[in-house]
Amino acid sequence: MELQLGLALPANNNFPTKGGLDLNINDFPYHPTITDSNNNKNKKRSFVQAFESSNATSTVPRTLPWLLWNNQPNDDDDDDDTKYNSRYTIMVKNEEDGLVGWPPIKSWRKETCFHIHGDGGVRHNRSVEVNGGGVSTFVKVKMEGVGIARKIDLSLHHSFETLVRTLMHMFDKCQMDSDNYELTYQDREGDWLLADDHDVPWRTFMRSVQRLKLLKRMSSTY
Amino acid sequence: MLKMASSFPEEVLEHVFSFLQSDGDRNSISMVCKSWYEIERWCRRRIFVGNCYAVSPRILIRRFPDVRSITLKGKPHFADFNLVPEGWGGYVYPWIVALASAYPWLEEIRLKRMVVTDESLELIAKSFKNFKLLVLSSCEGFSTDGLASIAANCRNLQELDLHESDVEDLSGRWLSHFPDTYTSLVSLNIACLGSEVSFSALERLVGRCPNLRSLRLHRAVPLDRLSNLLHRAPQLVELGTGAYSAELRPDVLSNLSSALSACRELKSLSGFWDVVPTYLPAVYSICPGLTSLNLSYAIIQSPDLIKLVSQCPNLQRLWVLDYIEDVGLDALAVSCKDLRELRVFPSDPFVLEANVSLTEQGLISVSEGCPKLQSVLYFCRQMSNEALITIARNQPNFTCFRLCIIEPRTPDYLTLEPLDVGFGAIVEHCKDLTRLSVSGLLTDRAFEYIGTYGKKLEMLSLAFAGDSDLGLHHVLSGCDNLRKLEIRDCPFGDKALLANAAKLETMRSLWMSSCSVSYGACKLLGQKLPRLNVEVIDERGHPASRPESLPVEKLYIYRSVAGPRFDMPNFVWTMDENSALRLT
Repeated sequence: MELQLGLALPANNNFPTKGGLDLNINDFPYHPTITDSNNNKNKKRSFVQAFESSNATSTVPRTLPWLLWNNQPNDDDDDDDTKYNSRYTIMVKNEEDGLVGWPPIKSWRKETCFHIHGDGGVRHNRSVEVNGGGVSTFVKVKMEGVGIARKIDLSLHHSFETLVRTLMHMFDKCQMDSDNYELTYQDREGDWLLADDHDVPWRTFMRSVQRLKLLKRMSSTY
Repeated sequence: MLKMASSFPEEVLEHVFSFLQSDGDRNSISMVCKSWYEIERWCRRRIFVGNCYAVSPRILIRRFPDVRSITLKGKPHFADFNLVPEGWGGYVYPWIVALASAYPWLEEIRLKRMVVTDESLELIAKSFKNFKLLVLSSCEGFSTDGLASIAANCRNLQELDLHESDVEDLSGRWLSHFPDTYTSLVSLNIACLGSEVSFSALERLVGRCPNLRSLRLHRAVPLDRLSNLLHRAPQLVELGTGAYSAELRPDVLSNLSSALSACRELKSLSGFWDVVPTYLPAVYSICPGLTSLNLSYAIIQSPDLIKLVSQCPNLQRLWVLDYIEDVGLDALAVSCKDLRELRVFPSDPFVLEANVSLTEQGLISVSEGCPKLQSVLYFCRQMSNEALITIARNQPNFTCFRLCIIEPRTPDYLTLEPLDVGFGAIVEHCKDLTRLSVSGLLTDRAFEYIGTYGKKLEMLSLAFAGDSDLGLHHVLSGCDNLRKLEIRDCPFGDKALLANAAKLETMRSLWMSSCSVSYGACKLLGQKLPRLNVEVIDERGHPASRPESLPVEKLYIYRSVAGPRFDMPNFVWTMDENSALRLT
């Protein structure tokens, strides 16, 4: 995108003077960084798509003759990464809580209302509901890097394989990605353990699991 | 003309000016001529400072020598959601010191999101002989010891309101520091406290203050104590219960019912922690008179909620958890035709799957059934463009519309498209909209709509939205009345900000966190616009230690006549013409 900015008054007198700053005056180098963070690929259109879509032409504001946007994607984005999914990093300060400050609920309200549902409350992460057909066992599942947790009914599964496959599907991951994550669970004592056939028998897991977490594998080469 | 102006004695002009209370009007008359400026500044009694760093105490005192009421706001709004690191600032003590020496007749102090110490409270208690009102809204840094000073010394205190402040609760004894001779209490809000207070001290206090109109208790006051308090204060207009539970004894319900029914002036109810639904019928007798009901801490299921709201035909304000569900909001739409404000909070916000049946349908119902509805805060998990368009058409009178779809970037659940068109309808139809918070999947197009139609927008909150700088540009160039803009996790970088730099001087403040504004751009803004304080917040260390093109963590820009502040912690840097020279 080419920007031509100046400090001169615009020709159009109908809008209030909005001073812009010339990027070139101070020899200001502009290298936007594109850092991929969120894995919600299919929820966001790529940068290229967004800019080249017909929407882009119709959104050129008419009232600013001295600010020109052409229809090309950022020419100065000389980043080799073709994944223009996000140009920002989400700061996930605290993995346990997911996104900081989201949903936007006042901290006071959170402490007042949710200390009984809080993450530390092992009891409340697992809920057993008795339906007409039988007993379902829901546990919370978090995936590293994803803000909002999910819930899964463990009673529908009989092996780690099906469980992991379902979880990947829940978080919109494909089978390849499942190799990049390992499943961990928190037991009754509050300890986090690996959830796979090598480490724990399925039955033991089912009896003691309180909640699940999918962590990125530290290294892809073992 | 000059002759005419001087032929009016000052006292006459002062008297005329006294009918003008709004700051805007007072600012206007002070600009008519020098003598009006002088007269006005001597008789202005109420001051509102929307950003405590926008002006200094010295400048304020120099212009307005006789102030009786002051409001100060400190931290940016996003501090409510833990986005502003601890130690950022907003310290009230230097203000209190200055006010104490300049305004011995100060009567009212209202603070929001400021750091208040016990020292500050002690100074307030000792400095202002006619002190009447203290409101500490979402403040922190003080303990119950500070409250004891206030209670012990402020003989004429009428209002003490600790609205949602973070108080270090050392003990409940502070309440007993109100002397036996103290009888002027009108309003007390201690809902945020934790420790037990002496119930007998509370009862005696309530009993000897005949003008008590508003009493908001905290969780530690159990239901069986409430009746005793109410018997002593049947004139209450506003009541916040403590814990709404007690052992199931037959007399509790009957005592409470009769105590409440004796309160014929009661218009506002809140509290309701730890609700035992068996006791809800106690409030039925006063429901018809209620205009405000805050059930946002009450875990009450939809059937009980419906029973309650159906008996409140005069309800104007309802705050409730999403346990009310769509069916409850349908009932609300039928029963409460006078509803002005609705807030629906999430009961289980940290999980994707809905635990209750609350959808866009509930909001559609109220927008259809409540013709006076003006202000909405709605947490939900699904929304559609169709629903938003319907809501906008139903209720073009919205002045405040805040929608929070819990999962970021959620598209229209019917079409999987962005919610641009839906929010576009909101800003287009609601011509008086002054506050807007958006959520869900939004492209730059949404911001084009907001910039085009949101001409009266004063406050805008954005999160996880937009595609490019074009989005921010639409907002900054289109929203003529924008005062506060807060943005998190949006792909906005330098271009829109620099292109609209002058706009920032017309606004109170801009907050951007987890966006793509580079350190270089921040420096440029700070250098070129001396009337702005450009503050970079970065807990990774000085931004100069990284390439200039890298984005800063957080950015807070606000206009100020006081220049850069000097009370910044080591993770905040001001960008100004000297920032290149400063090392830390």
